[in-house]
Amino acid sequence: MVEYLYFVISLLSVLGGASLLLLLTHREGDDLYRLNHISVLFLVVALFAALMQWNLGTRGYLLEGLFGKVLYIDDFALLFDTMFITGTIMTLLINTEYFANRRYFNGEYFALILFSLFGMMLLAHSHELVTAFIALEIASLSVYALVGYHKNNLVSIEAMMKYFTLGSIGGILFLLGSVIIFAATGSTELGAIAQYTHKGSADLTPVIIGATFIMIAVMFKIGAVPFHAWVLDVYEGAPFPVTMFMASTFKIAIFAIALRLYIVDFVPMHGTWTHLLELMAALTMLGGSWLAITQKSLKRMLAGSSIVHSGYMLIAITSIGLGSNIAASAIIFYLIAYFVSSVGAFGILSFISATSRKELTYDDFKGFSERRPYMAAMMAVFMLSLAGFPSTIGFLGKFYIFTAAIESGEFFLAGLGIAMAFVSVYYYFKLIAMIYFYPNKEPQKELVFNSSTLLIILLAAVVVLGGMGSGLIPYMPSADGFIDIATAAVGALGTPLR
Amino acid sequence: MLLDLILLAPFAAALVGGLLYLYDPQARREKIYSIIALTPVLLGAVLSLVIGWSFIFGETTHIESTLFEWLHVGDLRIALTLSVDRLSMVMLFFVTFVGALIHIYSAGYMSGDSGYGKFFAYLNLFMASMLLLILADNPVIMFIGWELVGLCSYLLIGFYYREEAAIPAANKAFIVNRIGDFVFIMGVALLFVTVGVNGFGFTAIEASITKIDTAMLSLIGLLLFVGAMGKSAQIPLYVWLPDAMAGPTPVSALIHAATMVTAGVYMVARFDFLYSRIPGVGEFIAVIGIASALLAAVIASYQSDIKKILAYSTVSQLGYMFAAVGVGAYSAGLFHVFTHAFFKALLFLGAGAIIIALSHEQNIFRMGGLRKDSRLLYYTMLIATFSIAGIPPFAGFFSKDAILVSLLSTGHYTLWSLATFGVFLTSYYMFRLFFAVFHARSYGFRVLKPLPLTMTVPLVVLAVGTATLGLLGVGGTFGNFLGLADIHAEADHTIEYLLAIFNLFVVAAGAGLAYRLFAQEAEPPNEESRVRRLLVHKFYIDEIYGYVFVKPLYFIASFTGNLIDHKVLGRMILLGVEGYRRAGEGFGKLQNGRVRFYTLYMLVGISYISYYLLSILGGI
Repeated sequence: MVEYLYFVISLLSVLGGASLLLLLTHREGDDLYRLNHISVLFLVVALFAALMQWNLGTRGYLLEGLFGKVLYIDDFALLFDTMFITGTIMTLLINTEYFANRRYFNGEYFALILFSLFGMMLLAHSHELVTAFIALEIASLSVYALVGYHKNNLVSIEAMMKYFTLGSIGGILFLLGSVIIFAATGSTELGAIAQYTHKGSADLTPVIIGATFIMIAVMFKIGAVPFHAWVLDVYEGAPFPVTMFMASTFKIAIFAIALRLYIVDFVPMHGTWTHLLELMAALTMLGGSWLAITQKSLKRMLAGSSIVHSGYMLIAITSIGLGSNIAASAIIFYLIAYFVSSVGAFGILSFISATSRKELTYDDFKGFSERRPYMAAMMAVFMLSLAGFPSTIGFLGKFYIFTAAIESGEFFLAGLGIAMAFVSVYYYFKLIAMIYFYPNKEPQKELVFNSSTLLIILLAAVVVLGGMGSGLIPYMPSADGFIDIATAAVGALGTPLR
Repeated sequence: MLLDLILLAPFAAALVGGLLYLYDPQARREKIYSIIALTPVLLGAVLSLVIGWSFIFGETTHIESTLFEWLHVGDLRIALTLSVDRLSMVMLFFVTFVGALIHIYSAGYMSGDSGYGKFFAYLNLFMASMLLLILADNPVIMFIGWELVGLCSYLLIGFYYREEAAIPAANKAFIVNRIGDFVFIMGVALLFVTVGVNGFGFTAIEASITKIDTAMLSLIGLLLFVGAMGKSAQIPLYVWLPDAMAGPTPVSALIHAATMVTAGVYMVARFDFLYSRIPGVGEFIAVIGIASALLAAVIASYQSDIKKILAYSTVSQLGYMFAAVGVGAYSAGLFHVFTHAFFKALLFLGAGAIIIALSHEQNIFRMGGLRKDSRLLYYTMLIATFSIAGIPPFAGFFSKDAILVSLLSTGHYTLWSLATFGVFLTSYYMFRLFFAVFHARSYGFRVLKPLPLTMTVPLVVLAVGTATLGLLGVGGTFGNFLGLADIHAEADHTIEYLLAIFNLFVVAAGAGLAYRLFAQEAEPPNEESRVRRLLVHKFYIDEIYGYVFVKPLYFIASFTGNLIDHKVLGRMILLGVEGYRRAGEGFGKLQNGRVRFYTLYMLVGISYISYYLLSILGGI
């Protein structure tokens, strides 16, 4: 019993940290820096615990004696753990200045972030539909509260209410799907469901209906058209650190359960869904890019573009369904690539908005290269990566996805994806053009070396390194390393455990 | 280990020197720059001597060292492996040795130039690239070196970028070289496709060369040779080399005479196993070589710029080398590469010294009578001229003789007689240069600038080398050492001796003619008759190329650029963009900020999906 605790150190650390932070934040005028450091401390412990278990081939139920077959651990879950924790650490450290300059922040912010992280990690480990639902709701409820954290700001409150209302519909659909699946298979445990769906003789109709509802909930979370409408408003209304958290970390969380279900349990439904997914992928890419090109605010542009990125991931999901060998690794690689690049891009945005109250439109970036030359260069790197420019990790992400699409015969989607990548060059490079091709009026600012800037530089290095061949730096994965990680994570899913 | 050091040291020095220069281009620290630049090159020379020692007196025949795996895609594995066999050892030796001397010379020659640090960074980069080309274990890595030397050549030709001629010359060199390089990489790619997957090192290719049928092999050989045409300035791609003289003179000596331009010959010799299977292509190479040799020699006889004359003589001598490797006499060709490196470097360095001493005068008909002014220059240039003309016991005699013998003994009588005529022309234009510069009546009053020691010492060392190194070739020592796949055609020794004596007469005739015409009263070539005008203007080759290739390209470019690109495609794209933007605005209207609408979109989606499910499962 006790030796199994080793595998839950990271979960416990996050949960413990969140609870402790709740206790610590009873006073007015908390020392936010101190609370920030305490959260990061717990997160670092969790990160190390997750990394220690990575790639040891660990597979099995977590605390089976206590919870039964509810929680599961494998490399797939660990990869998501690592990304979630890293994303949260980045969110906390990069925004050190942001909440220090905002009156409305207090200690509960940290507790909420950690609870949301705990929910996401639980989601990655859950091996049962109701647990997954609860985990998803833990994560979502914390994020709802975070979106409306600026309680005196009407936009923020409105965004929270929109998100909450629409998110509830998504949650309900997930629950509805689970119930129908339970009715059909007699279990909500993923292993049992997989056994049922792979049996061959069973009537799959109710399972397909249930699974489709779960899929709709997933589509809502990743903002696929036509379930996308909340994305722009919510991203815009939320405080910057929260937008960063949502766009980079929370956005990929749903994949932790969706891919597990899709690759293992819902294999027989792949054929049914193909046309639906194709349609949705095309609509999502088109709709997202239509929304992104017309925006003036960077937050809204990035929100629109994040919809386009969901569209790319839908291409990969379609390819998995059509039996492509590399599509599953491709989507994980894409998640990593998108995660790194968007953390960086949003990180810079919120880092800048920490001290200025501007709305951050394209125009605000005119002459940025002269004001902050290093930050400008990093921003350019992240934009290049998001646009999928060669020698960045974003390029390889798109490359693998399009390769997988072509391998599975999805020529139209691959072509459309490439066309949308061209369009995306417009709205990403527009920012680069603003940064570099306009005169500057304000004086140059010194580059201050603190945790925020160092982390942003580190992320930019990962983006560039991840786009290049073999490992130049020890212990630092580059393109080869990331694709190995993605393959290992997918390999861990494999066939369901009996 | 030694090999890694030889290669990496100049790379590192180029990086350090370049960064130091970039950090503060204005700073004057010639001493630091020259120490940074000279150390790795001198080290390389010493290390290559060590390697040479172990080859000549030891048992070593092959050294290999793998730095890292550069490329790994599917079955294609390209490692950055360096290897030295006897062929590359010879190249390694003279490249590092002549390179080191020219580096020392440059330290004096470039003194006072504002781009001193930049110059040495480029020069070191060139050394490293050239060594990479030589030491490469497979054609792909060789191609990297091949491209890098081209880049360095471009950078150094355009070094005096403020001068009008430098930039067009640099561009011309780069573009013409790129034509060759493009065909070369096509050859390498074709070779890779046909050789298959059993490794792509030179030895592996040699082992599986029999799998390729002759027609394909001929095509590969031809493509590779076109690459050599570009790099080694042969007809029709020779036009860049004379213009390349716009660069600093040490660069002309190192890159455009001694080392880089011989890369083509080296490449053909490296692929001796390939070319010896396709004698037809070899004949073609030899014909191109002799044609280049003659054409360049004729043009050189009517030039008056000292560096241009030397440049054309380089084209001409390279032609001899290709003639030799073309007929299969690889060691004779390589021997000429080897001796040529010494005497041509000496000629260029001497010319550079003359140019510096006369405050940048390059017209040989405005020099005259230098014999009295500088004994050192006089004797070193005399040795070099003797050598290139082919007078024993100087180096050029032995190597050129070996080429002529190989042409004759393989039965290429036409080529041999043309080559002999080339020997006459060589002797004529070289002694023309020599007499005009040193003997003819002095052209006005002048004060020679004194030459620093860094410039004179390399001249003397090279002169000693030029005077003695030819003896290596006596009795085929050099060729036996190389052990290349030479064609076996033994000539009778009597014929060889008779041929040597005959050649001496030819050389003497050329020298005598030059003495009669230029020793007393040197006059620049006039343009009275149509033929002479044709010769002075280098057969109008540049103009012809301009009309045949450049002008039509400009026309096509401006046609597509102005009409098709701008008016047709541009408009269409703008139309598409406008449409897409409108669609975006329309779609954005759906984003009206009202939750009930958003819920409606979701419901529409859910309804459609439900309908879809019904149609599939329920069969509606």
